Amino acid sequence: MDPTTLTTGDLAHVDDALEDAQQSKDLLSVQPPPAMFGAGGPMLKQFDQSSAASRMASQAATPPRSVVGIGNKVAKPDYSEAKIVLAMVGLPARGKSYLSNKLMRYLKWLEYSVKVGFIGQSHCVYCHAMEFRSSTSASYDALERDKKPNSLSGQREDHTAQYFSHDNVEATRLRDQLATDSLEMLIQWLHDGGNVGIHDATNSTRSRRAKIEERVSKEKGFVTIFLESVCDDPAIIAANVALKVSYGDPDYKDMSREEAKQDFLRRIREYEAVYETITEPHLSYLRIINVGNQVTVCRINGYLQSRIAFYLMNLHLKPRSIFFSRHGESQYNVEGKIGGDSSLSERGSHYARALPALITDNIGDAPLTVWTSTLQRTIQTVQHLPYNKLTWKSLDELDAGVCDGMTYEEIEQAYPEDFANRDEDKFNYRYRGGESYRDVVVRLEPVIMELERQENILIIGHQAILRCLYAYFHNLPHADLPYIKIPLHTVIKLTPKAYGCDEERYTLPIGAVDTHRPKPGTVQPKVPVFAGREYFNEE
Amino acid sequence: MVAPLYTTASGLLFHAGKILVVTVGLPARGKTHISRALERYLRWTGVKTQVVSLGDYRRKILGGAQKLPPDYFTLGEKSPETVALRKRISDGCEQLIWDFFNSGGQVVIYDANNGTRERRQALAEKFDKEGIHVIMLESLCDNEEIILSNIRSVKISSPDVRLVSLRWQLIIALIIGSSLKYRGWDPEKAVQDYYGRIRDHEAHYEPVEETDWPYIRIVNVGEKIMVNRIHGYLQSRIVFFLMNIHNRFRTIYFARSGQSLIEHSYKADSDLSPPGWEYAERLKEFVLDRRAKALQQRGVDIEDRRLVVWTSARRRSHHSAWPFLNLTENDKVKLPRVKVVEKPQMSEINPGVWDGLSPDQVRKFYPDEWERFVRDPYAYRAPRAESYHDLCVRLEPTLIELEREQEDLLIIGHASVIRCMLAYLIGLPASEIPAIEVARGDLIEVVPTSYGVHSQAYHFWDGPGRSQNGGGVGKDEHNFYENYAEDTQGKRRPQTAEAVDAIPS
Repeated sequence: MDPTTLTTGDLAHVDDALEDAQQSKDLLSVQPPPAMFGAGGPMLKQFDQSSAASRMASQAATPPRSVVGIGNKVAKPDYSEAKIVLAMVGLPARGKSYLSNKLMRYLKWLEYSVKVGFIGQSHCVYCHAMEFRSSTSASYDALERDKKPNSLSGQREDHTAQYFSHDNVEATRLRDQLATDSLEMLIQWLHDGGNVGIHDATNSTRSRRAKIEERVSKEKGFVTIFLESVCDDPAIIAANVALKVSYGDPDYKDMSREEAKQDFLRRIREYEAVYETITEPHLSYLRIINVGNQVTVCRINGYLQSRIAFYLMNLHLKPRSIFFSRHGESQYNVEGKIGGDSSLSERGSHYARALPALITDNIGDAPLTVWTSTLQRTIQTVQHLPYNKLTWKSLDELDAGVCDGMTYEEIEQAYPEDFANRDEDKFNYRYRGGESYRDVVVRLEPVIMELERQENILIIGHQAILRCLYAYFHNLPHADLPYIKIPLHTVIKLTPKAYGCDEERYTLPIGAVDTHRPKPGTVQPKVPVFAGREYFNEE
Repeated sequence: MVAPLYTTASGLLFHAGKILVVTVGLPARGKTHISRALERYLRWTGVKTQVVSLGDYRRKILGGAQKLPPDYFTLGEKSPETVALRKRISDGCEQLIWDFFNSGGQVVIYDANNGTRERRQALAEKFDKEGIHVIMLESLCDNEEIILSNIRSVKISSPDVRLVSLRWQLIIALIIGSSLKYRGWDPEKAVQDYYGRIRDHEAHYEPVEETDWPYIRIVNVGEKIMVNRIHGYLQSRIVFFLMNIHNRFRTIYFARSGQSLIEHSYKADSDLSPPGWEYAERLKEFVLDRRAKALQQRGVDIEDRRLVVWTSARRRSHHSAWPFLNLTENDKVKLPRVKVVEKPQMSEINPGVWDGLSPDQVRKFYPDEWERFVRDPYAYRAPRAESYHDLCVRLEPTLIELEREQEDLLIIGHASVIRCMLAYLIGLPASEIPAIEVARGDLIEVVPTSYGVHSQAYHFWDGPGRSQNGGGVGKDEHNFYENYAEDTQGKRRPQTAEAVDAIPS
């Protein structure tokens, strides 16, 4: 409908509303009434001006800065008290790296500062950056193995064996030195503001664990947790070995795949001979058997620690896919307004009708659950899908507070400075009476937890929500998070793999406006205003 | 960390089946305590949960220990009469479990020893066959001290109940039902009797080693937790909850934020009014005094205990904690260590499109929605607003954190948020949450004990923004989405002028 033409019905409506307003002597002029303190109306500004006086009478010595306008930047919460050394324990190919990677991604997403310290990091200045992890851990493996000099084989092994085996005492000393240095680096890093330092080594003997625990306990407020990954499922071990061999481990670069595999398996057997599972009753540890099947949690105190434990408990390795899509184009999208709870536009409904075919083509008969927010536009988008559906309040769009229902142009006009502020630091900017991206991340944490537990899931969400979820799966930094491109009428398929996610995008050729706002000042293509919001032309 | 809990037509949660939690463990291993805590938590999240206690059932049917045949508790050979009697009791309990499942219940916690493998296997198979998920919840204890203190506190002594309302007393009494057996006994004799029973059991106890059933094993009240094959939504919630409960002594204080310039708008997120700032100062002084006194009474050194203050990210709440960030030297004597944390999940209930409107305006512009809201303020979600149920879901991670917190805690929050948290701590049914009174100017002190909580409200402030008549018409009318339910639900609504007069102002 053309908004400029008014029908007689509309006029009658306005008349009624004005009459009502006169009767009740309030400011309401339409039905339902607009938000009383929206940034679009005059009340908010008047209120801010008038309340400035009352703040002067405040009793507090230095009252906190008053926020006027449409929002403010919010500082990151104080995590400075969380100081954890998480020491991995486990044989090679038992999924230690998988667990530590997942955990790092999760904690980083929650804005903890996390670092994985590999053994021998400090000695690795000569290593090529790309080979960094594998070569260092490989040489460490070689060191460990050196306890049994006869077990070595293979080209590179011979080299390392030669290097170390002529002096076993020297090897032991060096090995200890490497482990100690790496731990020292982690501790230093924690002092410098880190939160969780992951000590990624096999730590397979009691004496080594005792050393770590003893060293960390010298630091006030520091906590050690051991994370043991046990796996007795031959299929998982084989998959891990295959992954290790095929990832181009520099240790094996001159070997055939089969040779490399044999060598790696031999290496594992060497470890098995000296491996001691955690039985020390005084240690605080987590033991995960076959990724989540069986879990032991011992002496885990503290909130972050228990959260880590719960997260690891919820992981599984079953193959599955996660589908993201925004709702179909809504009326508000067409009008360029943010927030609201509008219905789908005609093109949006078209998308809702086309969605089932796209999903079923992709997933076949596999079971799937659909999650939506509580807002109309997502519920309407899934109405034709033949799957179980759940609505989550926590999937609702970022609350724009006083700006809800306005266009960006209107906001910019009413509050130019605030508007610029948000662009400066979008992640930390909290709309007055609404949310920041950080608030959304906090609110989505339960969703992530549940997503880790589930199998095939389709989430029909909103731009800001999907940006946050997407950033979790791809480990993207928070500063970039608010600028991730999640276009309308596009299904994003993520398939979790050992070290990340594979991604496919399916865009349906149904026109929609482009709601993406790049960060001002960054290069963006110049296009005419009205066409610029379209990325598909309707046939 | 709770997913939305949606009930289907059957009254069950959408994505969780029926669950039977079978407790396993010797007497005095904290089974009852854990069962009750779990029941309280699950009920609060909206799950229909029931503890079926074999001990309670036996006492109800057969009476106290004195009335039982002497070989009732001793294991080993028993007379045929005793065997029949025991079977009658366990069959009766199983019937109770079936009754609850059949009447729409979702989780049953079967609080009994279940100490033999054979017994557990039979029980689990029976329920598993009918499609019920069985979990073994074993509580082990190898610390003699914990066991003895369990016997003395839970089983023998009646708790020192100093509560503000009769109903709470009733709830507490229900929780400690198991102590009825020893009422009137000489305490030492009671301990001996109970200890003897434990020794008998120990000889025949078979810990859960069978890995074909999902199990959770708790050692020394949470020191160590082992989990086997726990899958499913509610199951993993149960584990996380159990991982976080502890029994260290601490106190939780609740207070509302001070009055703000625009009380009735969520969006405006306004600053405190001058009386609001005054309130914040008074709150700080009162908390310092009250806490110093409480710690002194318990003989705890004030230097040992930190006070953690939680506020929401709303300005009225965070500013009300401002005086805690600006302590004078005098204050620091009473409160040497304090930390203020802002939690965005703790914002008040979101009124959605009704923000800033008066009840009259809402009635006028949203008559249908209004009707439904008044009928069920707990579950009804106004357009784009949150229901109290939504709020509970949002607060759940904070609640787990509250359980986990070891230090004293002061929560400076909003009425709706305090209601949800109090309801959980006290164990009130969900439907009553909107009607709980939380007056501005009261400091609510909650002390968790092994039976539930002791709670006490202290009045410390009168002034603008305090509800004038403790729950009558006109209470916080400008903030009606948060507070209107007090007037619409439940017993606290004064019906007559007499009732209004009876409430102290």
